Amino acid sequence: MGTMGLALPWKARIASVPRQRETRVEPSEHYAGGPNPAVVNAITEDAALAAGCRAGNLHAYERLFSLHGARMKNLARNLLGNPVDAEDAVQETFLKVQRSIASFRGQSSFITWTYRILINTCHDARRSRLRKKEVPNDDSTETPRPEPRTPGAHPSLRMALERALGSLTKHQRDVFLLYEVEGFRHAEIAGMLEITETASKNTLFQAKKNLRMTLEPPRSSAAESR
Amino acid sequence: MMNETCKDREHIFEDGTPGEWAALEAHADSCPACAEELKAWKSLSVAAQEMRDNTENPSFWPRIERALAEEAQRNTQRTVRRGWLTFLPGISLGWQTAAAGAFVLVLAITAGWIYFHPPGRIAESDKSLLKSAALDNVERAEAVYVQAIDKLAEETKAQLENPATPVLANYHEKLVVLDSAIADLRAQAGLNPSNAQLRRQLLAMYQEKQHTLEEVLEARKQ
Repeated sequence: MGTMGLALPWKARIASVPRQRETRVEPSEHYAGGPNPAVVNAITEDAALAAGCRAGNLHAYERLFSLHGARMKNLARNLLGNPVDAEDAVQETFLKVQRSIASFRGQSSFITWTYRILINTCHDARRSRLRKKEVPNDDSTETPRPEPRTPGAHPSLRMALERALGSLTKHQRDVFLLYEVEGFRHAEIAGMLEITETASKNTLFQAKKNLRMTLEPPRSSAAESR
Repeated sequence: MMNETCKDREHIFEDGTPGEWAALEAHADSCPACAEELKAWKSLSVAAQEMRDNTENPSFWPRIERALAEEAQRNTQRTVRRGWLTFLPGISLGWQTAAAGAFVLVLAITAGWIYFHPPGRIAESDKSLLKSAALDNVERAEAVYVQAIDKLAEETKAQLENPATPVLANYHEKLVVLDSAIADLRAQAGLNPSNAQLRRQLLAMYQEKQHTLEEVLEARKQ
């Protein structure tokens, strides 16, 4: 397939930047050399957080917030389109965790469970807005329009991608945001969205293919003939 | 020129191992088409980083903390209110089921008992019992009253059998008529003891006889 590159104003800027993968540990990577100490620590931390929250310890919730609050709010903002609704969704998620921690059986990690609640809360909020005619359609081509954010972020780069995300299905959007923006592993995403790891990989692949198609400029006949 | 790596490119994009990715990147150095594809593919991931925004809102955690504390307080109040039911989780599901079954059984037996012994029948039998007792009381009182009047009649007997005045003769005749009526009513009341109308008439006759006998006694004093 001949390519013209993506029709993004930032193409030149990012062309040579490699994908930052150091924060993500895929299962195939850590199984090879035995238990990864970072993973073991994460599991211990996860269990400690779950136990603290179950005991009603507010410090455990504070720890959960300090570790994941920013990422939760970022995910909610990308799903809902504005920081006010995002903060409401995160707060509602914390309350739901508090209400239902007794029913958490540890079948998935506590963090995965918490993010699943957050994602469902965001979808509920979107559906609720849809009923109030604030959002045209959950799976329509219209995507949440995030409000202006950090001055440091590249506005046209972000806006182009945000617009293109509107062409994705809800599932593709969720997987793309969780994997590419928030840096979760496919195993974690599978737990959050209650799908298989393979389905998560396939959904991400389809999402990126669709994004490429949306972001690619129209091909000229000359380019086609090359 | 297409080789195996070019053909596997999409598979590597979807689910490539780190080794396959390294092989593709090495291959891209000499394949412009794969280099372009690889660059475009990676550029999406880089663009996604721009969607991260870690701007902190200092009032966000205090707001959540407050909401959590309020919810915890509400939960405590709810728990206190439902305190009497807290023993339930301590009982195994089997025992809870058995207790529920026993309760249903008791309920069914009670319902059956009420169905086969309706309250109407009990009330009816009670009523008949009361009625009989009341009637006995009336009959006993009546007998005492009749005995008292007979004693009164005994005192006036001699005076009435040989009346000294025409007034006493009239009293005598009146008493004979009253005795006849009383005998007749007593016979009817004996056949139908529950007939209140007969009993009222009988009482009226006795009262009349009582007044007449009292008048006879008054006449004797005069």
